[in-house]
Order: sequence, then C-alpha cells, then structure tokens
Amino acid sequence: MGTLCHYALFDLKPAFRLDLEQLAVRYRELARGVHPDRFADAPEREQRQALEQSAALNEAYQTLKSAPRRARYLLAISGHEVPQEITVQDPVFLLQQMQWREELEELQENADIDGIVPFKKRLKAAQASLEDDFAGCWDNPAEHEQAERLMRRMQFLDKLGQEVRQLEERLDD
Amino acid sequence: MALLQIAEPGLSPQPHQRRLAVGIDLGTTNSLVAAVRSGLSETLPDEQGSVILPSAVRYHEGFVEVGAAAKAAAASDPFNTIVSVKRLMGRGIADVKQLGEQLPYRFVEGESHMPFISTVQGPKSPVEVSADILKVLRQRAEATLGGELVGAVITVPAYFDDAQRQATKDAARLAGLNVLRLLNEPTAAAVAYGLDQSAEGLIAIYDLGGGTFDISILRLTGGVFEVLATGGDSALGGDDFDHALAQWIIEQAGLPGDLSPSAQRQLLQVACAAKEALSSAPRVPIAYGDWAGEVSRDTFDALIEPMLARSLKACRRAVRDAGIEVDEVSAVVMVGGSTRVPRVRQAVGALFGREPLIDIDPDQVVAVGAAVQADLLAGNAREGGELLLLDVIPLSLGLETMGGLMEKVIPRNTTIPVARAQDFTTYKDGQAAMMIHVLQGERELVSDCRSLARFELRGIPPMVAGAAKIRVTFQVDADGLLSVSARELASGVQASIEVKPSYGLTDGEIARMLKDSFAFANVDKDARQLREYQVDAERLVEAVRAALQADGERLLDPEEREVIELQVNELHALARGNDGAAIDQQTKRLSQLTDAFAARRMNSTVKAALAGRNLDDIED
Repeated sequence: MGTLCHYALFDLKPAFRLDLEQLAVRYRELARGVHPDRFADAPEREQRQALEQSAALNEAYQTLKSAPRRARYLLAISGHEVPQEITVQDPVFLLQQMQWREELEELQENADIDGIVPFKKRLKAAQASLEDDFAGCWDNPAEHEQAERLMRRMQFLDKLGQEVRQLEERLDD
Repeated sequence: MALLQIAEPGLSPQPHQRRLAVGIDLGTTNSLVAAVRSGLSETLPDEQGSVILPSAVRYHEGFVEVGAAAKAAAASDPFNTIVSVKRLMGRGIADVKQLGEQLPYRFVEGESHMPFISTVQGPKSPVEVSADILKVLRQRAEATLGGELVGAVITVPAYFDDAQRQATKDAARLAGLNVLRLLNEPTAAAVAYGLDQSAEGLIAIYDLGGGTFDISILRLTGGVFEVLATGGDSALGGDDFDHALAQWIIEQAGLPGDLSPSAQRQLLQVACAAKEALSSAPRVPIAYGDWAGEVSRDTFDALIEPMLARSLKACRRAVRDAGIEVDEVSAVVMVGGSTRVPRVRQAVGALFGREPLIDIDPDQVVAVGAAVQADLLAGNAREGGELLLLDVIPLSLGLETMGGLMEKVIPRNTTIPVARAQDFTTYKDGQAAMMIHVLQGERELVSDCRSLARFELRGIPPMVAGAAKIRVTFQVDADGLLSVSARELASGVQASIEVKPSYGLTDGEIARMLKDSFAFANVDKDARQLREYQVDAERLVEAVRAALQADGERLLDPEEREVIELQVNELHALARGNDGAAIDQQTKRLSQLTDAFAARRMNSTVKAALAGRNLDDIED
C-alpha cells in the first residue's frame, strides 16, 4: 500500500475535480482499517506496518485534499515533475501578485481587521476560478505549460492565504 | 487429543472474559484512574470512596506517601513533599532554574540532564515522582477490578512536546504499566462527551487544568474523532491563578516578597482555598498570618484577566488553524478544575456564542474518556461501532539548515501518524559527514526554536559539493513520539536515532515561541534574508578561491588575479557583518567580475575533453 499512487489508495482515477466530502468519508473508512490503535496488541511487525500504512494514507489524504498540492501531484504523475524553486515567466500574474501583496501590506499598516473579510472573499473567488481553469487543461498535453503556470498561481494564492492568517493573528490583541 | 485454542492477539478467547485496561489522567494537581465496567466508563474510588488522588508525593525515610496526606504536609515538609511535578516533566536543569523562584525544592544534578530533587530518600527525578503517583493508581485499579492490568492509556496535555511525552511514558513504564497509548487530554474529553451524547459536528474542547491549558477543535463523524487543530499554553493553569491571588495578598498585607518555602506553600494554599470559595460566593474572607481581609470575585476576575485573555487568543488561533469560523462550532466542552471559575465559563461562552457544556465533572472527564480508549485498545470491542481517534502534532518539527535556519519538515496540526522525508545535499567537495539537528517550534531561526536532538551522518562517500543526496525521514507515531533517520541515497549510508532528548521545552518557551512566530514574522524575514545573503556570499568565496587555486595562474594574468583576490577578500569580510544589502551587492559584483574567468575555465575543460586529454595533461 505504501507504494500505491495516492489516487489508487482511495480507489480513484487521477482527476483534478474531487468530491472532498466523499474523499473524507473514504479516508475515515480506510483510516479505521489501518490505524495503529487497531493493532495495539498485535506483534511488533504488524504494529510497524500499521504505522507505515497510516502515515502513507495520511500523506495521500493531505495531498489530495489541498487543491495546489493535488495539482502539483497530478502534473508529477503525468510526467511533469515541477521543481519547487524555479520561477516561471508569468508577467501577467506577476503584476497581480504585486497588487495582492500591496493590498495585504496596506491592511497590515492600517491594522484594518474589517478589511480582511472582503480580502479573504476575493482570495477565495480567485482560487476557485484558478481551480476551474486548471481542471479544464491539466490533462491536455498541448496545454501543459499553461497547467504548470496555473498550478504555480494556485500555490501563490495558497501561501497568501497563510499570510492572511498570520496577519489576523498579529492584529488579534 | 485436545487441541489448544490459541486466540489471536487482541482478541479475547472467551467473549465474557474482559481484558483489564484503565485510563489514567496524570494531572498537575490531581490524578485519576478509570475503567469500563458493565459497558460504562467510570472513575475508580479509593478505600475511602474518593476518586481524586492529589498529585502530591511525600518521601519519608523508608516509605512513600501519595495523595491527600502528602498534600497536607506540603507546607510543613516542603523539601520532601513534591507537588505539581508535571511541570518538571521532560525539562532540563536550565529550564528548571527558570522556574526556580516558585519551586522550593533542592535540585541536584544527576547522571542525565534531568533535574533531580534532593529528598530524605536521596535524589528523585520527576519521572520517578510521577511513577510513584502512577503506582498508587495501578494498585487501586488492580484491587478494584480484581486482576492484573493488560495496559493503560495515559493522558498528556495536547501541547506537550516530544520530551514531555517521552518522560510521561517512561514514568508509566517505571510504575510497571504497559502503555497502550499516550492520549491527548482534550481528545480524551471529547471521547467521553461524544459517546455520551452521540454528537456529530464540530466541537471545541477548552481544557484549563492546574498547570496547563489546551484548546482542541475536533470534527465528530460516525465515531471518528478527527482533531483539526490544537493549541495552548503549557504554562497556564489554576496554579497561576493561585500565584496571582497570592501576590495580591502579599501586597494587601504589606509582606516582604521573599517568603520561606514553608510560608510560600502556606500562602498558596490560602490563595487556592479562596479561589475555590469564590466560585460559589461573591466575596470571601481571607486570613494569612496576622493579616485578615476580604477578596471579591470582581477583584479576582481582574487578577486573572490577562491569563484568560491569553487562553482566548489561543482559542481564536486554533479556530483559524482548523480553517473554520467560530459560529460553526456546535458544542463547547469545559475540562479541568479551573473551568469552575465563573469568569472563565462566561468568557469562553461569549467567545463561541454558546453555553459551554459542563455535564461531565470537569475533573473526571479526561480519565473517563481515556478508559474508553484503553478498553478498545486492549481488544474489548465496544457495542455500537468502534471509535477512531485521529490526532495531530501540536508544534512544527524541522531541521537546521545552512545559516542557522529552521526548515520545517512537518508543520503543526498535521495528522499523526506521519512520515515525511526531506532531501539535503553536501556543501563542500568531499564532505564526509553531516550534522543533523532536529528542532521543534514555529520560528524561523534555529536559536528561537527548541533543540530536540543532534546526530551525525558519517561515511558519505567523497563527491563534489551538491552531488550527495541525503534523505532525512521524520516519523511521528500515534503517541506523538518522534523518530528520525537519515540516509545518503547513492551509497546507502544510514544513521538513525530515536529522538530521546534529555530535556524538553520550558512551558514559557513553547508559548512564547508560538506567540513570537507571529509577532516577529517580519523581524524573522529580515534575519532570514540576511542569513541567505551570508550563505550565498560564503559559497561564492569558497568557489572562487578553489578556482583561483586550480586555474588562476594558467588562465588569468597577474593583474586580473589581483583584482579578483581583492574582491574575494572584501566579500569574505563583509559576509561576517550584518549589512545584508552590502553583502548582496558585493556578491553580485564578484560574481560578475569572475564571469569571464568561469567561461575560460569551462572552455578549457571542453577543449581538453574534445582533444581527448584531461586537464592534468594540459597543466604541463
């Protein structure tokens, strides 16, 4: 099981569109079967296997649950392993990135807690639209470059979401 | 001939024969033991009918006293009576010195880094003291249940780090208990509530005990308890309320600040009694020494307000980490004796917009939940479907990388068990060993995180810098305990350690680390940037010097060489300073300056290869 592809583990065909509710249900079923709690009294070898299988299942679930991680994984298993650190040419998005950042900095400077709510809403909408675009092109070899670009945009917005959370934390005093 | 029936491990040979297992809440102030009997989980009383065992141990010559009698002697025999030992678990001597002002014990250094307390029975480690408490609970359980225990589930604060968990497990082993699982206290409480009320949805567990505070957000679905986020402050509890009130009494009574250990204990007992009385009365009289006065609930509420605010902030962070909104939480459960304080209940209720649940005794709920899981782990199947607990790690785990930076390998709130690998490479040509430094915390700089362990990977075969691929694997098991292994992929050289550190994070440190990781996010960013510039600069200096030595005379004229050497030395000097911009600028200048040299070296290599000769031949 440890070497199975994340999708196969969940008995799914590789796809970007996933029913997350269903994925969660399937995850809980699978976790029930392999969790170390079920093997607390078993021989050590079985305990170790349960540990490894649970860890593999958790990793697969974490990957499939998150849109950017799922997108990266899909590209990797379809033969387009994307290096983590390289920046690609995407001048259109670069401009958008700068705008997002400027706005976030402004929210921070003005300690604008109320302004975070609409910001998050727009961030969510932007993420949803990127996901739609990615779903429409990732499995088309001709559009592979576009798919990679979209995946990187998704990663950026995901990171931005984390920064929003950190900002909320700093403003929460 | 009769065949022996051999039951599979975990399966009881006869359905009516239960395998005895207990849940133990090893608390800062009180400890309890519970077991499932006739399908019901309940705490087990002692011979006097009391279920609560005060976590106090008094060492006499020749015997040990645990519980209420020991607690009563805390003021008269402060050096031999140990209370709140949980605060010392998994700590080093240096950590304990920080707590020192509040602790009347005489510490001595032992063989390990663990602090030992000097008593009439000789030096005692916190692990041994905890084991003495656990022994009493084990004997009580075996006497009540009428048999030997298969094992026990021991609860720990969700916010306990690796060292504190390991110390707890060691204490249980020392007490002769087979540890079936270390279970997070809020999760145990959720089990007790979830089963009772067959609840579904999102629940928040607010657990304020004697010395620790935890907040966990869980999703309950068909018997599966999935922890979405956990947070807390392992230096926050009812003890701190007592200290605040004691300080107030000192001020009111005009007493000197430095009381004797015995007087200090006495004062804390007076404060604690007043705190408890205030839960049912609006004002209570206090008498300490010659001083007599009165404290009102308003005064007390004002004293604890800063601590309460800290706990609420941790709640909001856990809600954010769980990726939910406060109003999605459908139930709030109160756990721990300190949630009896009316102001605490009121503030938590206001935050979540709903009345907190207090149906199950907040002192007993953790042990009751732990017993349910113990029963299950021992192989006694429960009616009405099995429950499954999916917990998380409370603090990020990572490694030290170049320039003193912490690289997170497993972020906090990741579901356990988890195994994650990260690849690293060598920094210098022919580098044969690599130091692996394992850290826990949320800050970016190593010096701001807690060091868990260091180990060395030796015997890496000689390769050029960057060619070796070292894969470091972190594994956290279902107890939340970490093990780390490292392997060089090309050669298969392996090094592995069980991360068993001699000390853990101080309470204050953990809380501060998390808090700081947000407050200092910007400072960190600058510091990180500087380190990156320094590392880049050092790399370039090293590379250019190596190139000069190899090919400087052959490919450069003396003037060119002099200029490059000058600039290398300049960069080398700058890289030791703190001016990031200057380092960056000089790095770029040197890099530009050596471009042509690098191109010549490349050409000469290519030419040599084309000519079918190697570089050594050209040297002649």
